[in-house]
Amino acid sequence: MIANFISIPVMLLLSVLQSTAVSRITLIHGSADLILLAVAAWGVKERGYTAFLWALAGGLFISIITAMPFYIPLISYMSVALMAKILFGRIWQSPLFMLIAIIFAGTLIEHLMSIFYLQVNGVELELVQSLQDFTLPSLLLNFFFLFPMYVLISDLRKWALPGEEYE
Amino acid sequence: MKPVSPGTLRNAVVVFLVVGILFLAVSGFLRPFLGVIMDPFVAAQRWLSERFMAVYDFFTLPRDVTELIQRNNELEDEVANLQSQIIQLQQQLREADILYSLLDYARSRPADQYTAAAVIGRDPSPFLQYIIIDHGSDDGIRYGMPVVTQQGLVGRIEAVTASASRVQLISDAGSTVNVSLQNQAADALVQGSISGDITLEMLDQSVSLTAGDILLTSGLGGNYPSDILVGQVVDIQKTENELFQSAFIQPMVDFNTLRAVLVITNFQTTNISPLTGETVQ
Repeated sequence: MIANFISIPVMLLLSVLQSTAVSRITLIHGSADLILLAVAAWGVKERGYTAFLWALAGGLFISIITAMPFYIPLISYMSVALMAKILFGRIWQSPLFMLIAIIFAGTLIEHLMSIFYLQVNGVELELVQSLQDFTLPSLLLNFFFLFPMYVLISDLRKWALPGEEYE
Repeated sequence: MKPVSPGTLRNAVVVFLVVGILFLAVSGFLRPFLGVIMDPFVAAQRWLSERFMAVYDFFTLPRDVTELIQRNNELEDEVANLQSQIIQLQQQLREADILYSLLDYARSRPADQYTAAAVIGRDPSPFLQYIIIDHGSDDGIRYGMPVVTQQGLVGRIEAVTASASRVQLISDAGSTVNVSLQNQAADALVQGSISGDITLEMLDQSVSLTAGDILLTSGLGGNYPSDILVGQVVDIQKTENELFQSAFIQPMVDFNTLRAVLVITNFQTTNISPLTGETVQ
């Protein structure tokens, strides 16, 4: 139960951090997504469905801040939680490999949805160029922040749910 | 006459000697003599004093080192506090500079009413060029209000909550600003992009455009007031077989370092979408 409640302040804090600081740290035009990382890091260590609640909380907070339609972050984070649920314990029994795979797929899903939305709304952008300028740098930054986030979420999980360890 | 006793004579001789010696000493005649006598004493005293102080330091130094370390720590703490205060004061000074600049700009356009706001965030999506400011509907901010700095046009309010607002920058892909050239009677559009670069579009081929030309808002379309600085022409793209020429624009405002902005609160946006057949946002 505490894991459900803890998702709200953690996601609120990460959303604020994302908007104020992380969005300003750019590589070419890409930037990291702390919410996506947090959902994935929680999901790879979670046998239950709590990661979906984390995705929901994070998606709602980000949808308040961003000018993108609310369903883009929401669906992206939900898909990350779903992938974590499906792949739980299946990739060499190692959460870190699974985490990298999920971050890769999650970033790709989020960016493809954004590109599709912008194209539908008349913004001129090329898919390949966008993937090069936005998605690849974002992936690199996500991988850069991945391990600190994983350690942070692991410690948070140990504190919130002592005795439950699936590694 | 009573003869002088030997004792009295001796005393008198002693007194004369003492007075004589004192007289010689005061008048400086004894200095070489005293020097010869005193120098060995002074040298011996100096030698003894140095050895004594060395022994004294040997026994008392550890205590002094502890005191010095403590004092050093106190001073380092004080230095850290002072440095922190300096940083805070420099921060306040920078903010004051920005606010003074904004105030100067506001005074230069007395017809407009402004609300100053701090930039508190950016849109999390890398595809969008939006900023978040710390003033909302409680402060009189409404949808569509233009946002400027002392350097030029920033964008317009796109979403409002009670205490914060989201501003669409002119560099956003969805932003279009009607502009005119400062030195020529020519209208065009400034269009943003997902990369944050802005370009001049829809400029008639007959217009003689040169690098460095200044662009101002034209006021057409009713979204922005007229005569606000937008940017400067950098690179002209002119092809003979196209209807319009275009150009890359260097915006007047550096959107990456925006810290404070002014919202023009008395500007009424004009909704011309019924005339153009566009859907109302």
